[in-house]
Amino acid sequence: MRNFLKNGTMAVAILTGLGTVPGWADNLVLWVNAPLASGPDAPLYAELKKFEAETGNKVEVQAVPHMEMERNLFVAMSGGAGPDVMALDIAWVAGLADAGLLMDITEQSAPLASKYQPGPFAGGRYEGKQYALPLYTNNAALIVNDKMLAQAGIDKAPTTWGELRAAAVAMTNAEKGTYGISFGSNRMGAFQLYPFIWQAGGEIIDDKGKSHVADPEAIGAVDFLAKLYTQDKAMPESVLTAGNWDEVHAPFIQERAGMVISGDWAIAAIKKNAPNLAFSIHPLPQGKKAATVIGGYNLAVRQGTAAPKAAFQLVEWLTGDRSIELMGKYQRLSATAAATTPEAIAKLPKEMQPFMAQASAGHPRPVVASWSEMHGVFGNMWDAVIRGRPAAEALAEANAEVENLLAR
Amino acid sequence: MTTRTRETTRLKPHWSSIFENGRGARLYPYLLVMPAILIAIGVVVYPVVSGITSAFYDVTLRTLNSGDMPFVGMRNFERVFADPNFMRASLNTVIWVLLNVVAQLGLGLALALLLHRIVPGIGFFRSGILVPWVVPSVVAVLTWRWMYDPSVGIVNEMLVRLGVINDYHPWLGDTATALYAVTVESIWKGTPFVMLLLLAALQLVPKSILEAASMDGASGWRMLWHVILPQIRVSFAIAAVLTFILTVNNFNAIWLMTEGGPLNSSEILFTLAYKYGFQRFDLGRASAVATMLFVGLVIATTIYLKLIQAKEAD
Repeated sequence: MRNFLKNGTMAVAILTGLGTVPGWADNLVLWVNAPLASGPDAPLYAELKKFEAETGNKVEVQAVPHMEMERNLFVAMSGGAGPDVMALDIAWVAGLADAGLLMDITEQSAPLASKYQPGPFAGGRYEGKQYALPLYTNNAALIVNDKMLAQAGIDKAPTTWGELRAAAVAMTNAEKGTYGISFGSNRMGAFQLYPFIWQAGGEIIDDKGKSHVADPEAIGAVDFLAKLYTQDKAMPESVLTAGNWDEVHAPFIQERAGMVISGDWAIAAIKKNAPNLAFSIHPLPQGKKAATVIGGYNLAVRQGTAAPKAAFQLVEWLTGDRSIELMGKYQRLSATAAATTPEAIAKLPKEMQPFMAQASAGHPRPVVASWSEMHGVFGNMWDAVIRGRPAAEALAEANAEVENLLAR
Repeated sequence: MTTRTRETTRLKPHWSSIFENGRGARLYPYLLVMPAILIAIGVVVYPVVSGITSAFYDVTLRTLNSGDMPFVGMRNFERVFADPNFMRASLNTVIWVLLNVVAQLGLGLALALLLHRIVPGIGFFRSGILVPWVVPSVVAVLTWRWMYDPSVGIVNEMLVRLGVINDYHPWLGDTATALYAVTVESIWKGTPFVMLLLLAALQLVPKSILEAASMDGASGWRMLWHVILPQIRVSFAIAAVLTFILTVNNFNAIWLMTEGGPLNSSEILFTLAYKYGFQRFDLGRASAVATMLFVGLVIATTIYLKLIQAKEAD
């Protein structure tokens, strides 16, 4: 009798416990880029609590620095380990998908496609299959030091290549040690120059997988930017060495450079390091057409996760409509379509609005498996051109390398 | 008179008694070292063998994930040799190692001789000179990176004020100076370790030998060359081998300061292997470079130690 009561009590306890959660609970490991989980008060944790309460699944967050994320993901997942759900830079999706490390979510995400902005949504697709959904998006804009611009006798931020050059030259003063525009070296510089190739009407790799790296449009764009340094001396010497955003932003923050091409991540850095600096943000100056480069992070599910359903549920939860409010708390832009309505844009902080306003001109970088290597090729090309190598020659060599990578 | 008889107590047989004699006793020491051997095999031998083996297989992310890694013989080595960056990285590695080893040994010896003297406050200088070695390498490298900054770096400011250069120079951004700029940081960081080894050796040199040499008229360079150096040659050899190995493997300095750039001008074999492995995810090719580096290190170290032994025998 005693055993019967004991077993009965246990059964009631278990059933009561199960009754509080819908279905069987799963434990999920989520890797996010470190700024999203910078402390216990980070908004992500509150959002995950809601997810846990709603679905009964548990989520363990592990923060990984951006610079180490790609390598750590490749190493961990190649060994059969790694997170169930991961945040990944949109440029890494193709490489991970090509290696068979990401779960194919084409079927589950098809009904959701219209909820996202087309550019960022396409950034999660590789060879016709969807592998990731966009968590947040960003793009590159022109950040201008208003005081330096006014002192240079210019009354509005540049909107064309000609105006960009004129403003950069006007703000350059060798005696004062001021320059027009801060630019990065190698990979940083490559990221900043991609929009200029598209603005010139050029392409990097077309939909058929053909390289256009050495096309006249690309040569014209690279030549235009490089001459701002080699001829006009309108870029500080840091263009030779700046290998991270801190170093790209530094001349602008120190008011030694009047402009910088960067994304929304620059805002916090500028406000923190130069709280009195008066700056404004503008869409990138146009060439033949408007274009900017899309960045941002996606969420994807690891191939072979023990909880594929719960993992996708988490991806959908964090990237859906809730992301407008969630990403707003991080001063980042949601990649949902709802975030692009005039009402939603009006609710954004003033300095974020130009980024969202030019979102429609956003180009994703080519979604090819070897993009990380190609980005390195572009980085070396940029390094060579700013050291005096003719753009046509450097791009011809880069084109050959890109073609080799495409053929591999 | 009472006599005390010693009671012979026999220990109760226990399972461990089998190790007291016979085969068990012979096996006992081997069993004691077995855990250490197994750990050494797991953390040293296996990774080395696995790394060398990978050099002969097509190991990429795709093949790694599918588990189908075909044997490719010497193909990875051929691809490495076909890469123009490999020759450049090899040459840079030789320059990098030579400059580091020679400068660190020379400066380390000079500092050790200087700090060997007993003068008031010598403890402060001995401790102070160790600061570069104690500073975490990442902190040191990032500090030097800012010191070399082409616009606000203190190195440029000092050189301009001293009249060595007229204008600020992008030391890390110039293909002609990047490798040497990183080498200066590496020498600054590594010299105190050599100094410490040699200072310890100097303090063990018997005073009577130095006094005898002094009475015989030896001084200055002759004293150093014919008396002091032979006395500390074993420590000197150890310092040379360790500096050589640490320099070849000094990934942090180059990676954090230049990532092998600009335009591969400061690429060494270690950073090239890292790029193959963790930027291009071509682990077969990365293993090929690492294998060559490993074999080179073993050969160079063996030759050096044999030369020292031969000299010892003379």
